[in-house]
This record gives sequence, structure tokens and C-alpha cells, in this order.
Amino acid sequence: MESLYLLIPIALIFCVIAIKLLLWAISSGQYDDLDKEAWRILADDEPRAKPDTPPHQTSDSARDD
Amino acid sequence: MSPPAEARVLEVPRTCFHCGEPVPANLELTVDINGEPRAMCCQGCLAVATLIAGSGLESFYRQRTAYNERPATPEPAVLEQYRIYDDPALAATFSTTGESGKAETSLLLGGMSCAACTWLIEHSLSNLPGISRALVNLQQNRLDIEYDPRQLQLSSIFAHIDSLGYRPQPFQTSAARQQSMDQYRADLRRLAVAGLGMMQVGMFAIALHAGDIQGIEAQYQALLRWVSLPVAAFVVLYSARSFFSSAWRHLRQGSLVMDFPVSLAIGLAFSASVWATVTGTGQVYFDSVVMFTFLLLLARFLERRAHQRQLFIWSDAESNLPSAATARCDGQWRTVPRTQLQPQDTILIKAGESVPVDAQVIDGTSAVQEDTFNGEHLPRTVTAGDTVYAGTVNVEAALQARVLVDYKDSRLAALQQSVELAQVSKPRLAILADRIASWFIAGILLVTVTTAAVWWQIDPDKAFWIALSVLVISCPCALALATPAALTNAANALRARGVIVRTENALEALSNCTHLVFDKTGTLTRGSLTIAEVLPLSDSERGAILATAAALQRYSTHPVAKAFRDIEEAGGCEQVAYHVGAGLEGRWSGSLYRMGSESFCRELVADFPARPTAPLYWIGLCREGAALAWIGLNDTVRPEASDVIDSARRMQLQVELLTGDSSPQGPALARALGIETVHSNQTPQQKMARVQYLQQHGFVVAMVGDGLNDAPVLGVANASFAVSDATELARSQADFVIVGGDLEKIVETLHKARQCRRIMLQNFAWALGYNLCAIPLAALGYVPPWIAALGMSLSSLLVVANSMRLNR
Repeated sequence: MESLYLLIPIALIFCVIAIKLLLWAISSGQYDDLDKEAWRILADDEPRAKPDTPPHQTSDSARDD
Repeated sequence: MSPPAEARVLEVPRTCFHCGEPVPANLELTVDINGEPRAMCCQGCLAVATLIAGSGLESFYRQRTAYNERPATPEPAVLEQYRIYDDPALAATFSTTGESGKAETSLLLGGMSCAACTWLIEHSLSNLPGISRALVNLQQNRLDIEYDPRQLQLSSIFAHIDSLGYRPQPFQTSAARQQSMDQYRADLRRLAVAGLGMMQVGMFAIALHAGDIQGIEAQYQALLRWVSLPVAAFVVLYSARSFFSSAWRHLRQGSLVMDFPVSLAIGLAFSASVWATVTGTGQVYFDSVVMFTFLLLLARFLERRAHQRQLFIWSDAESNLPSAATARCDGQWRTVPRTQLQPQDTILIKAGESVPVDAQVIDGTSAVQEDTFNGEHLPRTVTAGDTVYAGTVNVEAALQARVLVDYKDSRLAALQQSVELAQVSKPRLAILADRIASWFIAGILLVTVTTAAVWWQIDPDKAFWIALSVLVISCPCALALATPAALTNAANALRARGVIVRTENALEALSNCTHLVFDKTGTLTRGSLTIAEVLPLSDSERGAILATAAALQRYSTHPVAKAFRDIEEAGGCEQVAYHVGAGLEGRWSGSLYRMGSESFCRELVADFPARPTAPLYWIGLCREGAALAWIGLNDTVRPEASDVIDSARRMQLQVELLTGDSSPQGPALARALGIETVHSNQTPQQKMARVQYLQQHGFVVAMVGDGLNDAPVLGVANASFAVSDATELARSQADFVIVGGDLEKIVETLHKARQCRRIMLQNFAWALGYNLCAIPLAALGYVPPWIAALGMSLSSLLVVANSMRLNR
């Protein structure tokens, strides 16, 4: 059971690191918008391919004229 | 057999696929979305939905969780207004240009209803050439864009967002906004520290409690206590500090709030545990202290977050004014920033523009729509010598005017001052939790002191520890959670039903309210004119009359013309001329037609009959030599209005009508709906005074309104609603914003508020009942600490679970 004297302080060090990391993440703004991020992870599908005329084609045809 | 399709269409009221409002019966507007034709209620929704579907973003409609706000009908004049942001000096106030030539700017967006809106805006903008990054922050209603000013003008970004149905404006970093942001992060940090601390201390506590039951060597007990100490100390000093400072602040003002027993419990339990650890005696309560802190912080965080989003939608009266004005400098008309206008400057106000400052008309005749001050949509005729006020809209013809005063002395600034005054003078009802808190403190202190005194006689060694266990077991966790848990759940439930709760405490006020006060135009009515009656004066039939009228009105910008917009017009009307303040004149199949006021028609037809007496807005129509018709216009009452007023009366509420309208329509509407108390012709300040008068007589007032002129009264009422299409200022003052514009939501909110109050009382009853049972046991010395900790958590969970019932 003497190992507790070593293991518990190590656990505390990890706890301190975890708190530091979390505080840093909050300060850098990663948790500023909980609603949107919570929603976005479930709905990541991109809009369907651009219709009819992609932008680069229009510029090409404009050059042709 | 299914009934014929036509019959079904008539029976089932259709709702607009975009905004969820009912579709007018005779309107057929559809857009193909996800392969199906969808009904639209107005041109505004049609334009937005067509744009979304046309740019391949229609999966937005599958993903959104709330209807969109109803967009305004697209008007080129509005888009023209955004051109002012192309001025580099003005753009520099809210955007920065980096070294690479890319500009970064932040916009505040109005009208975002759910997270899917952020997806729509981001993807739609990134399709524009020149935009390299678009990021929406839903919490702050903010859009950050990085774009290339050489490829894209700022005004086209504004116009693009406007065309999606959202209302963009420059995001000005204000002190209040910054403070709110800092507060949010500070709350989150405290919560994070308390959460991690709770896990760590909880781990040690399980070992300690198991040791109490199974036996533990003294050295390991001491070790576990000593490692718990610094973690708990950090949580108490870092996370629980807000309770201590709040309790102390209120104590110095002589008031006891719930934070006081909370601080007392945390402080005493922590100090006693430190003492027990140092001396190696008694019991430690580190786990209870930390868990208690975490649960309370969590409840408060959720409570704050629910309405903090709304705090960012902030606006004042001045933001309704155009940024630019046309002024005469050095003999020619120039566009100048509004703020540079000086008294005595000459300005030009074109038809359709907002008046930028209070000014005196020196040339021209027109009509101004003064809904800013009276809530009405029918304009007042003005001519040389009359004063026009900042924030009103010039509807008929261009005016030249001389600036009278600066913005700060204008009538609009006075309205803004009333709004600020209303915020300060809003009566705060004593919050139930705080009233109970003071009784609770007195009770607990009495019991603790008695316990200590009695045990001092029996066994002085045990007296301290038993008195302390009384304090810990009476720990007011469940009591402190009783209100925030109920309020947050009620607010969530209302949000799912289309009511945004901006201030949760208003739910408590609403459950006690005695008076429900309505504004008329735009609140009980739709706020737009429709044709109520056609009185033919010759043998022509109704359809022909309306077709002729619609053909003439197509040339008008007057609000009246909107009533004729959906009528199929008779073609071939020509030489239409607008006579300011009188009416319209035009030729159709060879004869001269006139439409307008009584005197205007009499110039053409001398024996034109007198105007009917019914309280409608009457317009005459005549042809050379023949009177044709009187057309009566009316603002249609929302169909659900009378049901809402009946339900309110069944809930024992007094219903009143406060309107800025001076016509007999106010009392007529009140009679039709069965409202007894009516106050007509009220200025914004008079409306506010009326509500304050009721409050001084001990009544609790809920107010429903929509316009700029309602902002002060919404601010001062104990609980207030803004209906859809309300101005930003009215929204920012209201406690509840109804998204869909359905007045039935008011009744739903009233019921929810009363249900919320019942749940709060149940929570209190449980929390106090638990204490009544547990304290005597603790006072007799029968409760070991692990049972105390368990009991506390279970009673808190029960309070939370009970509050969840509000979500149904």
C-alpha cells in the first residue's frame, strides 16, 4: 500500500495538467459557442455540388467573348 | 374516398414553409424545395427560399430546428442604404485591413433562430468570390468575415446577408458586450475547475467512506485527507468565490439572498474539514463541499447561458436611423454621414427614406409615417413649416428641410432616454428563493446553536462535530437549485415552442401578473391595411372597381397601396399622376379616373357622396362624371386575438388596450374583442406612465407590444412580450420574444409560468421537508458523513428531475 504515496501525487499532477489545459482552451475561445459546435458535429454534410455554372466556367466564357 | 382537393385546401390553414406563419387564403406562391412545391406566405419568404434553393443549400430546411424569422419584403432602397458601408472611413470603424490586402470585419446578425442558420450563412457566403473565411458565432450573433476588398465590396456582403433573410449591422465592440463575454468565460472556468476538482476529491472520498465502513489504517486516512485538502481548497477559493462575494455584497446592503446560506455551508464545512485534517480528529466533508459547488455553478451556468445569447442582440433608438443623409454643401447635394449634420443645414429627404434628424420642412409636401412615436402605419401629411422627426419615414415625395437640433436633442433621443429610464425603474419583485432563504438561515442557525448547547451538557467532546453535521446535512443545495433548475427547464420548453425567454425571472413575475396590457397596431392587428368594405356608388361591380383601383395604386408608394398589391389589376392604365396629400389620377380606356380623399374626388365629380361614417380608412374612386365607390380599408385583427383575450380573462387577468392611434378604431376594436379599458392616442411616455400607475397600486403588469414606441413600456412592465416583426429595440426590451407571431403563445407562456411556479414550490417543499426529517436525526448524532453526502446528492437530483417535468 506504500505505492499510494507515489501514485496519488502523480494523479494530482495529471489533474493539475488537465485543469491547465482546460483553462487554456476556454481562454483561447474554443468553448465560446457551445450550441453551434454541438450541432455541427452531427450535421457536416456539404451543400450539393454547385448547380449549372461553376464560377470558373463563367469567367472562362467571359474571356471567350 | 378522399374529399376533393379544393375543399381540403380551404379547410386546413396552410403555413409558410419558410417562416411558419399562416398563408393568406387567396395567395399561391410556391418554391420547389427538396423536390416538393412548398407554400410561401409573402414575397419576402419567396425571395429568400428561392435564393436558398437556387444555390444548392436546401438541405438547410431539413436540418433547422426552428422556423426562420419572416423577412421583410425586398426593397431596393434598403439595399441602396448598405452602400454607405463602402465608405472607407465608416468601414474602418468595424473592420481592419491586414498587410496581405485582405480585410477582416465583424457583423452583428439579427434573425438567427437555430444552429442550422450558421451553416446556411457560412456556406452561402463562402460561395461568393473574394470571401476567404466566414465564421458565425451563434452565442454572440456575430459573423466574422475575411474578404478581399478588391474583389468584393462590403455593401454586397451586407446585401447578400439581407437577401438570406437576416438583418446585418456592424458589430461594434461595446463595453457591455465585452463584459458579457468575459463573464461567460469566467463562469465556464469556474465550472471546469469545480468539475475536475469534484472528480478528484470524489475519488479520494469513496476510499475514505469505504474506510469508515470497513476500517482503514490511520496513516492512509491521513494521507487521503491531506491530498483532498489542496484540491478542495483550490475549488473553494477559485470556483466558490462568486458565492462569497455575492453574499457579502448583499449583506452589506442589508439583504439576505440564497448565496448567504450557500456561503455559510461551504465556508463552515470546509473550515471544519481542514481542522479535522490538521488535528486528525472528527470528520472531513471535502467531497460534499466540492460537489455542492459544482452543482450550483452548473445550474447557474445553464441559467445564464440560456439568456446570454439574447443579451448580444442589443440595439438603441439611434440604430434605426440611416447612416447617411443628403445635405446641401457648396450649392450641390452631397451624401454625408448623418453624424456630421449641423443645425441649420439643409437636407433632402427622398420618398421612401427615413428622416435622419429632427428638421423643419422648407419645401415640398409629403406624408410621414410616424409609427416610431404612435405605432400607426397611416402617415401624417406635412408641408413647408411643419416639423418632421428623426426615425420617421417619408412616404410620398421628396422634402427639403432645415435641420433643427442635434440627435441628442431630438424626439427619438427622448424616446431612448425613456427606455433607459424604464430599465432603471422596472420594479424588481422579491424573488421567491431569496424570501425563503432568509427564513431558512434563521431556522438553521437556531437549530445548530440549540444542538450545540444541548450536546455541550451531555458530551462536550461531541458537541462541535454534531453541530457541524447538522449544518452539513441541512446544506441548502436542493434549496438553492430549486429555482434555477425550474426556470431553466421552463425556458427550454418555451424555446422549443417558439418563445425566446430573455430574462428568466420574468417567468416568476408572469405567474403572478394581474394585468395583461396590449398594444393595438401590429400586436392585436397584423399592422397592414386590407380591404374591408367596398361600397359601390354606381352599377359597376366589386371586381371591376378593385381592378381599376389596383391599377392606379400600383404607381403609389403610400402604405395604402399595399392593400391592393395582391389584386389583379386592370391593364392599360396610363398617365398616372400622384397628387401629394390628395390621391392618384390616371387615364384608363379614355376616361380620367381619380382615387383619394373626398375633396380630391369632388374636384372631378361635384356631387361625390359624403364619406361613410363607419370607423374605417375610406378612399373614394370616381370617373369623369360618375362616382364609382368608397373603399374602406382596415387593419385586420389577428384571428387568434379574441381567443387569447378570452383565455386571459379565464385566468383572472384584467385586459387593457394602450394604443398610439387617435382614431375611433382603437375603442371599436376593444369593443369587438371585449376589452373594457382602452387608452387611445398615447405617446410612448404616456404608455409607460399608465403601467407605472398600475404598478404603484400593487398590480403586476404584463405588456405585449411590437413597435419602437412600445420599447419604454416593455422595459418597465414586470413581464413583457414582443411579437414577431417587432423592431429590434422592442425585442431588446422585452422579456419574451414570440418568434412565429402567434398570440396563442402568450397564453402558453402564461400557463408555463404558472406551472413553473408550482414546480418551484414543490421543489422548495421537498428541500425543506428533507431537512425537517434529516436535521433531527443529525442533531441526535445518528447520521454518519457518508449518509449525509449521499442524502444531499439524492435530494438535489430529485429537485432536478422534478424540474425536468417542465420540459414536457
